[in-house]
Amino acid sequence: MTDGPWLRTEHLCRFYRRGPQEVRALNMVDLEVGRGEFIGIVGSSGSGKSTLLNLCAGLDTPTSGSVLFNGTPLRSMTRKELARYRAKKIGMIFQSFNLISHYTALQNVEAALLFNDTPRARRRDLAAGCLSQLGLAERMSHRPADLSGGEQQRVAVARAVVKQPEILFADEPTGNLDEDNARQIADLLKSLNRAGLTIIMVTHNLEMARECAHRIIRMQYGSVAGETGTA
Amino acid sequence: MTARDIGAIAAGNLRRMKLRTTLTVAGIVIAIAAFTSMVSFGTGTQENVERQFNDLGLLSTMEVYPRQRSNEPEQEGMPKLDAAALDQFAKIPGVLIVYPYDPFTVGVRCGDSVIETRAQSLALTMLTTKLFSRIRAGVIFPSDTSKEAVVSTDFLKKAGISTPDSALGRRLIVSVRVSTIDSALSRVVTDRGRPIWDRFRKIRIDSLLHSRPYLLKTLRVEANEAVRRLVDGYFNARKTITDTLVICGVIEAERMGRVRVEQILLPLATGQRFTTSGMSSNPTDLFAAMSSGTLFGGGGDRQEKYFTQATLQLDPRIPWAPIKDSIEARGYRTFSFAQEFTQIQKAFIYLDMALGAVGLLALLTASLGIVNTMAMSLLERRREIGIFKSLGADEGEIRILFLVESGMVGLIGSAAGVLSGWIITRIVTVIAHVYMRREGIPEVQLFSLPLWLIALALLIGTGVAVLAGSYPAARAARVDPVEALRND
Repeated sequence: MTDGPWLRTEHLCRFYRRGPQEVRALNMVDLEVGRGEFIGIVGSSGSGKSTLLNLCAGLDTPTSGSVLFNGTPLRSMTRKELARYRAKKIGMIFQSFNLISHYTALQNVEAALLFNDTPRARRRDLAAGCLSQLGLAERMSHRPADLSGGEQQRVAVARAVVKQPEILFADEPTGNLDEDNARQIADLLKSLNRAGLTIIMVTHNLEMARECAHRIIRMQYGSVAGETGTA
Repeated sequence: MTARDIGAIAAGNLRRMKLRTTLTVAGIVIAIAAFTSMVSFGTGTQENVERQFNDLGLLSTMEVYPRQRSNEPEQEGMPKLDAAALDQFAKIPGVLIVYPYDPFTVGVRCGDSVIETRAQSLALTMLTTKLFSRIRAGVIFPSDTSKEAVVSTDFLKKAGISTPDSALGRRLIVSVRVSTIDSALSRVVTDRGRPIWDRFRKIRIDSLLHSRPYLLKTLRVEANEAVRRLVDGYFNARKTITDTLVICGVIEAERMGRVRVEQILLPLATGQRFTTSGMSSNPTDLFAAMSSGTLFGGGGDRQEKYFTQATLQLDPRIPWAPIKDSIEARGYRTFSFAQEFTQIQKAFIYLDMALGAVGLLALLTASLGIVNTMAMSLLERRREIGIFKSLGADEGEIRILFLVESGMVGLIGSAAGVLSGWIITRIVTVIAHVYMRREGIPEVQLFSLPLWLIALALLIGTGVAVLAGSYPAARAARVDPVEALRND
């Protein structure tokens, strides 16, 4: 399933300064992700899982070390190039869905296509098609407040995948969902991965990670504490 | 993100916050309405002045005066403004018409009214100028010798004639009482039968030769007596020249700075009957003649007559400055309306700037509202900005989105402000016109809203709004997406 490292981190560090104290959120993390892999990152709160995801997504800048996407270090990219990377190469889903509250489901999904040069005329069709595939054809004109948690997360997944990214970063995608909805989202992610999408998922739910991921990386105190394969 | 996308998102955000947007726009509306109406007043006033200059043809008119002012002592070598000088001016390239300003006092009987006023003789060429072309009724006299006159609207008021049309065909008995230097001089020689040599006989020649005080006293007494006889002869031995003329036209009364249309305009040859018959007995004219050194100038003989002012009508296609230089090089003073107009235009620019500054002050206050609105919007939309950044928006796009929103507030406010300003000026104009009609003042447009002013108002309103939005926009662009998307 993998074709060699597609995303790689080298001695990745992210330190914060809180007053006089230095917080080492991420410390010397080396990670390799192959194309088409499903990686589960587990660990307790504050172990650096989300920080690692944000750095890989180009939303945050490492203190030292580097993230390489297809051999290109993100550090060498300008802010504009990083924005293009986020717009075209990656998709993100979050624990709290992060949908724009005053947009409809359709508009939320369309928003992902605003920044990757998709012609205006095609956006609506792509977004509508994606929502339909995820079983939300009847909910397109609804605003997030009118959708259930599971539906909101499916809209978020639709928004992440509508632009056909090369990697999907999922930060606790089932953290706010009940068991049934969590199961649906997990199935959805598995099917996306089976379709060829590389996924890096951060989760507390070890069971779900075991079920979905090819490899599980356990983090502790900002470092990789261990790695297990599931396949 | 295309410009259309940015516009649609910005418009959507403004629509979503209706009350806040409306209040912010209202601030801009008030400021731009104040700016537009104030500058519109300055522009309207400027256009009125410009229109008057154009209507009277003043931009191609130049006045010429003798270098020596009437209240200055005579200096040797100062050229006089006489017929020869006027002929010289006429030969300067670019000078179309030259005519002297040579008014005289007349008594006019029109119906039951007897009016003392000023008259002016005009050659037919002078009537081609814009100044003398503002005919309200009838026509200009057909020839230099016709027994007709054109009167001004001011004269109609004095004569109690209600409308210009009703004045046409009325008879005017024009009379001028003139004094001649001959009558004055003969009075010096013989004062009511007492010849001057009777006085000379009483002078003691011996004392005159040997006593300096006696000499001075005698000179003083006899000089005073001579002047007394001269003035007495001037004022008390006058003759009256009378002519009956028919009113053939009524001209718009005009008095703008140094340009004026006298109340009675006569054909040149008809008028010369009055001016060449002797000196006007009007004391003002007499003193003017004395101070200009023309008292013994032969009365109305044009070749020996000196004028206090001449008017030059210039070819508008030729620059006036070389003509002015040429005339001044000949020793005359000039007054160019075109030059004056340049100064007036500068003054109006300052007036417009001052009026505009008041409006801009209001706009400055309104711009604080925009800063506040956009700062509030930023605080409320941090998560949205974070989402956009996670989806691939760069800092520039976020900044532009906020700038477009504040620009839209400015543009909508400015457009509504221009409209409001226009409505205000219309209301004030209607009120002012009612007042002008009631007071008998000619109606003028107080305000003018040219396209450039509309464009300027829109540009300033939008520009200030964008400027006001630039700080919140910069802050929005710098929002850290990790912080903005963090779970609360």
